[in-house]
Amino acid sequence: MGMKIEDLTVTFKNHVTAIDHANLEIPKGIFGLLGENGAGKTTLMRVLTTVLSPAGGTVTIDGIRYNEENYEKIRKKIGYLPQEIDLYPSLTVQECLEYMGALSGISKQACKERIDCYLAKTSLSEHRRKKIKQLSGGMKRRVGLIQALLNEPEFLIVDEPTTGLDPEERIRIRNLLVDFSEERTVLFSTHVVEDLTATCDRLAVMKKGKFLYAGNMKELLAQAEGHVWVCKAADETMARKLEREYHVSSKQYMGGELRIKLISERPPQIECLPCETTLEDAYIYITNSEPQASVTDL
Amino acid sequence: MIQEMKISLPFQKQAYAVFFVVILSLVRGVTYSDEIGIALEAPMAILAASFCADTYTQEITSRRSEIQRLYPMKKRIYSVYRRIMIQEIFLLSIAAAGYGLFYLFQHPGINRIGQNGAENEIRQFLVYFAAVAVTLGFWGLLSNLLSCLFRNMWMGIGGCLLLWLITNSSSGDRYFGAWNLFSYTFRKIGDSSDLSWIRGKIVCICIGIVTAMVLPEIIEKRG
Repeated sequence: MGMKIEDLTVTFKNHVTAIDHANLEIPKGIFGLLGENGAGKTTLMRVLTTVLSPAGGTVTIDGIRYNEENYEKIRKKIGYLPQEIDLYPSLTVQECLEYMGALSGISKQACKERIDCYLAKTSLSEHRRKKIKQLSGGMKRRVGLIQALLNEPEFLIVDEPTTGLDPEERIRIRNLLVDFSEERTVLFSTHVVEDLTATCDRLAVMKKGKFLYAGNMKELLAQAEGHVWVCKAADETMARKLEREYHVSSKQYMGGELRIKLISERPPQIECLPCETTLEDAYIYITNSEPQASVTDL
Repeated sequence: MIQEMKISLPFQKQAYAVFFVVILSLVRGVTYSDEIGIALEAPMAILAASFCADTYTQEITSRRSEIQRLYPMKKRIYSVYRRIMIQEIFLLSIAAAGYGLFYLFQHPGINRIGQNGAENEIRQFLVYFAAVAVTLGFWGLLSNLLSCLFRNMWMGIGGCLLLWLITNSSSGDRYFGAWNLFSYTFRKIGDSSDLSWIRGKIVCICIGIVTAMVLPEIIEKRG
């Protein structure tokens, strides 16, 4: 059991189609959603959390279909951390979590126990008396994660939780998400490829409201295998020429030489060597390939 | 309850409300004590409208409303009602204190012909207190409702300001008479036996009740 999205379409009032006939199946465990800004990740999450109603298609969660009659049942199963959220700045961490727990309908005793447990897990116990406005960005995100977990949801939906955080905090958040995915489904969106490399086995790639890929990370890497090349550019002019002709995934000066990593369907017309594919290369490959070559809608 | 007090009564809101009443009691001239209620009612109404406009919209601007969507509707609505109640109690205390400040700063006469004595002053205050309680409740609820409807606190304040300008005017008095929302302000102060202004307050109570009843529906629909 998990989440199933079939032929989902979301259109805004200004006639912009944010999600375009998308299909996806999200199994138990941690599932990554990768895509550029504006790809439709947040819109998808807003649909899954019942904030937005789709224009077409169906969504089911544990076999329960998304419609107004089932919203109450569905909402009990979900914990959500939006991309940008300001928790109550004048409350302390403890007060904020107690308040949000009470609003979500958890009993006082259970709420206190869960707060203690999650504060310990997120290393925030000693900060419980601090006001939210006194916390760092990463700490606020961790408090946000706790509030999403207070009702012990079966599905945890987290929208770009690592954006704007320093490397240490990012690693901490990623590790927490992996810990929390042990007994539930965690849907985790990001536009930072390394967040997914470090956490997920399964992922979906979104672009302009469509899923370009959904499945195993290994298979995604395999699709890009043989299309990643590394070459040396003699000078900046040549480097610019290569950038115009191919998708360049990295440029690096090494020992006075400019090393360029290219993504190309066919071997480039210059001296180059095939090289190991990273998730970043695979992402560039998949998002810039012809649709018929890469779409693997489930 | 403590959390809701901290959320709905941050320091800056308390400060501007107190400042508003202090300034008003200093600059709005009154000659007799029975003019104090008139001097306070309409300004307190606009203070209530601006004070309560962000009761729920602060959840929208902070994106917390997206999380609140997952909470049971009953709990969400009770929290909004509790916040309104806390703010109204605070405003009512400010309104009562403001009444006293007029005495303190302006020493108004208490001997208008045919009226005198401490008993009359107390009765006058109690009538003011009841009238202003209804006024504050009405404008606070209305402003919050409009803000929720348009998902924008400025729409709540703006809508209330428009209604305030219409009803708190001589043409509003002429048109609505004793049914005006500010009937207490426009009553005949020389004639304490004339209680026809209560009709205007009944209108406020009725609209206030409808507003409170419609609010859950609007929050549910508009998020």
